[in-house]
Amino acid sequence: MKNPGNQTQAQRPELPKINPRETLKTFAVIAVLVLAFSNFSFVIDLVVNILIIIYQFVGKNFGIAIILLTLLIRLITWPLNAQQMKSSKAMQELQNDKEWIAIQKKYAKDREKLAQEQMRIYRERGINVFGSCLPTLIQFPILFALIPAITYAIGSYPLSILKLSKSLEAFGLQDVASLIPLNSKFLGIDMGLPERTLVFGFGIPVLALIVGLTTYIQTKLTMPPSTNPNDQSAATGRMMSIYMPVMLFLFSVNYASGLSVYFVASNILSIIQYAMMGKVNWRNLLPGGQKS
Amino acid sequence: MRKKKLPVLAFILLSLVLSGCTGAIAWPGLSATDEVAYLAHTTTVYAVDMKTHNELWTFSGEKTGFSLFNTNPSMFIVTPVVTKNGLVIIVDSSNKHVMYAVDPNDVTENTPAIEWKFNAVDGLWIAPPLEVGDLLFAPNSDGKVYVLDLTDGKSEKQAIEVIEVSKPGEGESRLWAQPVTDGERLYVTSLDKSVLAIDLETYQIVWHADLGGAVPGGVALGGDGMLYVGSLAKQLERFDPATGEHQPVLDTNGWIWGTPVSDGDNLYFADVEGYFYSYNTAEQRLNWEPVQPDASITANPLVMGDHVLVATESGGVYSISANGEVDLWFQGQEDSQAYTTPVSAGGFVLVAYLESDYYLVALDDEGDEQWTFPGK
Repeated sequence: MKNPGNQTQAQRPELPKINPRETLKTFAVIAVLVLAFSNFSFVIDLVVNILIIIYQFVGKNFGIAIILLTLLIRLITWPLNAQQMKSSKAMQELQNDKEWIAIQKKYAKDREKLAQEQMRIYRERGINVFGSCLPTLIQFPILFALIPAITYAIGSYPLSILKLSKSLEAFGLQDVASLIPLNSKFLGIDMGLPERTLVFGFGIPVLALIVGLTTYIQTKLTMPPSTNPNDQSAATGRMMSIYMPVMLFLFSVNYASGLSVYFVASNILSIIQYAMMGKVNWRNLLPGGQKS
Repeated sequence: MRKKKLPVLAFILLSLVLSGCTGAIAWPGLSATDEVAYLAHTTTVYAVDMKTHNELWTFSGEKTGFSLFNTNPSMFIVTPVVTKNGLVIIVDSSNKHVMYAVDPNDVTENTPAIEWKFNAVDGLWIAPPLEVGDLLFAPNSDGKVYVLDLTDGKSEKQAIEVIEVSKPGEGESRLWAQPVTDGERLYVTSLDKSVLAIDLETYQIVWHADLGGAVPGGVALGGDGMLYVGSLAKQLERFDPATGEHQPVLDTNGWIWGTPVSDGDNLYFADVEGYFYSYNTAEQRLNWEPVQPDASITANPLVMGDHVLVATESGGVYSISANGEVDLWFQGQEDSQAYTTPVSAGGFVLVAYLESDYYLVALDDEGDEQWTFPGK
């Protein structure tokens, strides 16, 4: 019987060296996530207060307030998004790298050795493997907080107004009674309710369809080009361009239309950010454009 | 293949997390006769037999539209109203905006037949309508009171009169409380910080008074012939029903959410800071210093003869004696919430709950649990 304890140090595979800076960054992001989810009501209260301050500032218009809140979130997370784009691009380029492709073939049957070689290349090229997903993860608490925040802040129902008052009083920033009744309408749509436009007697979720469309365009435009047919990240990107619009459409159908406004604004701002960094692939919108 | 499934699983997980984020946004509506309790709870209205404690029927709205886009469920939170001719008026508080009259004696497949419906409104239904003679006065969040004829026999109702309550140029009024009548006038409160009186014969607004805060509750007819209204301005106001002249008579510790209740000379009401007040309208003074049971109070008090019951946000039902002594009468489950006004009927006191294993509990006159209704 083999005893793992007898394996000598020399026989053990060499573990890649840890980059302290990247590790620290990863731990910092995880710490923020743990803190946010362990005191989630604080995050909700924070988002509610910011939303209400903007609402008052823009003359009691929830649609504009949500758009400006989206812009604010985009500005705050700009460095994270920029890092995500950089990491995604580096990973994408790696998929077409000769050395990368060679080790995939060479160690196809030795997963342990393949992992070691992949980590070596990541280290040599200065690629943070979590760089593309951590920035996305850190935005989750904001997104999760936005759903109850929009529902409470718009106050279409009695209990939501009570929750709003508690959120605002927790920060001591607002004279809550003076805010009520809140103006929940934007372009004739109640931001606190799912939107339906009656067409020949059928309630069509126009705003949710716009969410699906803009998400599709945003995903397509920001997808990096790939020439490698075995490129895993390109395949994932193609899947995302289908799943994301469908999922966000379904969320928007069922949730307050204020959330749909957030999704649409976020998609448009994302396209603008990518365009400013010169990373928008307009050809992806053309039929067959992605292959080039 | 496993890699391809990963994003799908991630999205399913995300959708589950998102679905659980919002929580309840409205509390149940509850009414009862001696035979049947009617509970409007989230997506369903339940009729419960008061003797057998069994479900008689449920109502979840009419299925309409293409199924893909019909995922937005109906929302039933408004107190069902039983009319003199035996129909039950149920309103859907979702963006479908439908008011239904159902016949509880014509039940097929556990659902009562729809006698008529009305949906020619622009806002949410939050307030129960008021039956006056053959008419139904239905306040809506679009700032209008819709007058419906209960005897016209139409299955698709049209309002015979629409009373515009919103002040010109000031947007919607949002009427959230059931109107009150003294036989001559209809008294309506609004979230736009106003109270108004409407002539029942002409449907004209007799007076329109501004308050310092929104009024989510209704008007109380005091034993002294005056009207009493609480507001989010933390004040109890007294109104002359003939002229609308008004003045604050009491400052409170918190928002007054519910409708004050009168038992002759005394007026009982509570605030969202959890204080309970007993105000003598004849002598214009508090009977005793406000008492504070344990948590926020949005429900109206329930007068039970020699004591008053009040339900709190912490799930407690407190008995308050004539001299202000507070006793915990019943405590709901841990983390349960009681925002709805308790109802006395059929020898029971019924209390509706949120965040509890049961939707409804029936208590005897000592506050002991007799039966519960689990709901879904």
